[in-house]
Amino acid sequence: MREYFLRRLLQSLLVLFLVSLVTFALIHSAPGGPVRIYLTPGLSQEAAKVQAHNLGLDQPIPIQYVRWLGDLLQGNFGYTFKNHIPVAKILWPTVGNTLILMGVAWFLSLIIAIPWGIYNSTREYCLSDQTAAVISYLGFAMPTFWFGILLQELFSLKLNWLPLSDMYTMGQARNILNLLPHLVLPVTVLTLGFLAAYVKYSRSSMLEVLFQDYIRTARAKGMPERRVVFRHALRNALIPIITVLGLDLPILVGGAALTESVFNWPGMGRLFVEMAMAREYSVLMAITLLTAVIVILGNFLADILYAIVDPRVQLAGRGGRSV
Amino acid sequence: MSGIPLGESPLAGNSLGGGNPGPESAPQVVSLGRMAWRRFLRNPFAVAGLIVLLFFVIAALFARFIAPFNPARIDLLAANLPLGSGAHILGTDELGRDIFSRLLYSSQVSLLVGFSVAFVSVFIGTLIGAVSGYFGGLIDTFFMRMVDVFNSVPLLFLNILMLAIFGSSFVLLICILAFTSWMGVARLVRGTFLQLRETQYVEAAKALGTSNWRIITYHMIRNATAPIIVNATLMIGGAILSEAALSFLGLGIQPPQTSWGQMLSNAQQYMLTDPLQAVYPGLCILVVVLAVNFIGDGIQSAIDPRRKVRRPRRRLGR
Amino acid sequence: MKVPLLEIRDLSVGFQAEQGILKAVDRVSLKMEEGKTFCLVGESGSGKSVTSLSVMRLIDYDGGDILSGEIFFHGEDLVRKSQEEMIKLRGYKLAMIFQEPMSALNPVFTVGDQIAEAVMLHQNKGKKEACQDAIEMLRLVGIPAPEVRARQYPHELSGGMCQRVVIAMALVCKPEVLIADEPTTALDVTVQAQILDLLRQLKAELNMAILLITHDMGVAAEVADQITVMYAGVMVEEGTVEQVFSHPYHPYTLGLLKSIPGYESKRGMDLYAIPGNIPSLAQLPQGCRFHPRCVLAQEKCRLEEPVPHDLGSGHMVKCWLSESAEMSESTAEKR
Repeated sequence: MREYFLRRLLQSLLVLFLVSLVTFALIHSAPGGPVRIYLTPGLSQEAAKVQAHNLGLDQPIPIQYVRWLGDLLQGNFGYTFKNHIPVAKILWPTVGNTLILMGVAWFLSLIIAIPWGIYNSTREYCLSDQTAAVISYLGFAMPTFWFGILLQELFSLKLNWLPLSDMYTMGQARNILNLLPHLVLPVTVLTLGFLAAYVKYSRSSMLEVLFQDYIRTARAKGMPERRVVFRHALRNALIPIITVLGLDLPILVGGAALTESVFNWPGMGRLFVEMAMAREYSVLMAITLLTAVIVILGNFLADILYAIVDPRVQLAGRGGRSV
Repeated sequence: MSGIPLGESPLAGNSLGGGNPGPESAPQVVSLGRMAWRRFLRNPFAVAGLIVLLFFVIAALFARFIAPFNPARIDLLAANLPLGSGAHILGTDELGRDIFSRLLYSSQVSLLVGFSVAFVSVFIGTLIGAVSGYFGGLIDTFFMRMVDVFNSVPLLFLNILMLAIFGSSFVLLICILAFTSWMGVARLVRGTFLQLRETQYVEAAKALGTSNWRIITYHMIRNATAPIIVNATLMIGGAILSEAALSFLGLGIQPPQTSWGQMLSNAQQYMLTDPLQAVYPGLCILVVVLAVNFIGDGIQSAIDPRRKVRRPRRRLGR
Repeated sequence: MKVPLLEIRDLSVGFQAEQGILKAVDRVSLKMEEGKTFCLVGESGSGKSVTSLSVMRLIDYDGGDILSGEIFFHGEDLVRKSQEEMIKLRGYKLAMIFQEPMSALNPVFTVGDQIAEAVMLHQNKGKKEACQDAIEMLRLVGIPAPEVRARQYPHELSGGMCQRVVIAMALVCKPEVLIADEPTTALDVTVQAQILDLLRQLKAELNMAILLITHDMGVAAEVADQITVMYAGVMVEEGTVEQVFSHPYHPYTLGLLKSIPGYESKRGMDLYAIPGNIPSLAQLPQGCRFHPRCVLAQEKCRLEEPVPHDLGSGHMVKCWLSESAEMSESTAEKR
């Protein structure tokens, strides 16, 4: 068990290191490169040279990489080009806002999707199953931002039931009562997307399990069907679902960019888009790395969960079975 | 879904009989491709998808002849015309550009992006997967860690980042999208290769002195072709959605070129005055992607009917 | 003759398919008494597993329908029972073990848990007591250090070990009937013999009836009291083990016997295999279902389905050739 965790931990750190390497390479291939990120704008050429020297930007690239990494580890993400604001200062508040939006949508879709998928697996091709199939097809083919716009047109502009955008109504107290109506539409958009995938996954992984021999053994023991499904099948069906949830994490973090842009939600995704338009590389790098950290951490947690659910994992390791 | 033909029953043929079909029971020989094609044609959703896609392809190819107006022509005198305004069937936008013509020309962009991205990323993915799976060892470890890297960053972010760094041109957009969507195919091909590497016929080919390149191309890729095709089809839809998203965010297709995503971002600004403008481009995206996905699913179940076989109706109690 | 413990009467089981209903089992009858072993023999696809799953009424979950016939257990018809009623019998009075011991055990629960579960389902016992029973049962099926093994997961045990666990799970409530569907097929030959010995010994200890399903005449010869040979959903021959082995009448039975290594085969001769394959249910031949593969097939066999023919003292054969006694003599000579 311990060896398994250690191996996964080392693997995670390696991937994180590679992500930082790729990100660093991307900075250096950007026109203007790191100089644009770190130098105070509007300096004369001589002054810029001095500052570049002081910041170590005239050093060989590997040394620069090590220093950059060291800065990152100390929480120094650099400064924006435009107003020379520390990146950390504009980044951190958006992280919380994104987590609220994504967390609510994700949680909601999971508690709907998994029981629904299980139910559909025991009654294939029933009305509920067909409905879920339609939702899946739509969810996979519909541009989320379009769905968002349609919801805005209907529920905000036409019916005037819900606020059009933003996280809080301006000039009112920033409390949960203010937040909730703003959450409804973006959460709906995100939930549909997740639901489409998760209902499908949980149904198919449950179906896979329900046709296994050990399910027949459980029935042969004289176990009531409900118990067969919830005790013997569910736990096995959760194993692939956990893997998929882990793999979906990047979508969870990145998928918000569109929804956040449509609904003007002050989150990390919208910040990323805005900063991309403004070519603020330092912010873009910081967000890329931060999301990578979140994703890798999430995958690590998924692995731990995986080992708890599946006793075979300690012997076999995950790599051997997933491929 | 009830209408989909579900392949042979598990009870027909020799699945219940066990063992291999004897020589006397072998039916007339039909090539696998033709059998798959027949099964595909029996799937109404897949056929509908194919017809819709063909419809869009024809519209895109002949946009120049079908479109009543130049999609980029600004005519402020005819701005904001509603649905059904004479020659402007779907009306005009705030600059007086004909919406129907813009939709037509946008389909060129979407389909071209979809198909090229699928093609290029299948090429990259197959190459990487084949090399990884065939040679294994360090090469394999390297590429698989690269896959991990790509899987741990939101691809939309990566696309936006690269567009911000390298600027956005049409070709670059395709390259960037392809560069971030090869991982699925690579894994798939690698998996097939890992299995095949140990098989007798590849060993035999090696023993006969067949070159690595020939073993890879001739003996092994063939075995992965079917799943690659399915994957590629589904990737077309993904690429169309990504292009729409990036253009919607203002980072993809730039004016005067037009695309559905860009039209949507435009429509969002005017949704108070002209809500219908947002409906058409989104509907186009939805229908095309749906069509492509139906085709992909159709190919999947045509190639591998057993996976989609309707399992026996199960009932709880009598 | 006393009332049999379990009696199947004219059982037919069908599956819904594109071509209509396919009969996987067609008018099968058999009687089982306590303390006896009953063997159903035939190639895969002959309908023997479907028959056994029907007795357990597990066939409902595999999409099968019992079309007609009765299954009497203690005089009660199982076919008429609801699943709720069956749940009380399954694993308690009627138990079943399956072919693949490794996949028959749930990978995420310890083997002890899985056995104890059966106890708790049917007997009013607490978890602790049930676990004690499980360990006792593991000891009975010959697993060394049962206290340790009970806490292990299936993947930590060998195939033979797993089959012992499956047997322990089936027998922990001391059933009256045990159905064993190819219990030794997935195992090594040496382990096979051990498991068969174990079944024989447990049968005597618990005085239960065993319905053993196998494709292997050698296995049947070792443990059976009664044998029924099935082909493509129908019974082709039945009798006591002596009757079937020393006077096989049906050409199919003969073929099966000849494919046992050592049966009538001379050194250096190839092992016999019946030519061809079992037909698919969708394309059953007219007349006798076996005729396309039968060396002795005649015109009548192609046209009419044979009727059961009693050769005396319960030895039944379904073959036109058995009508005349001398035919069977020539059968033996020709082969």
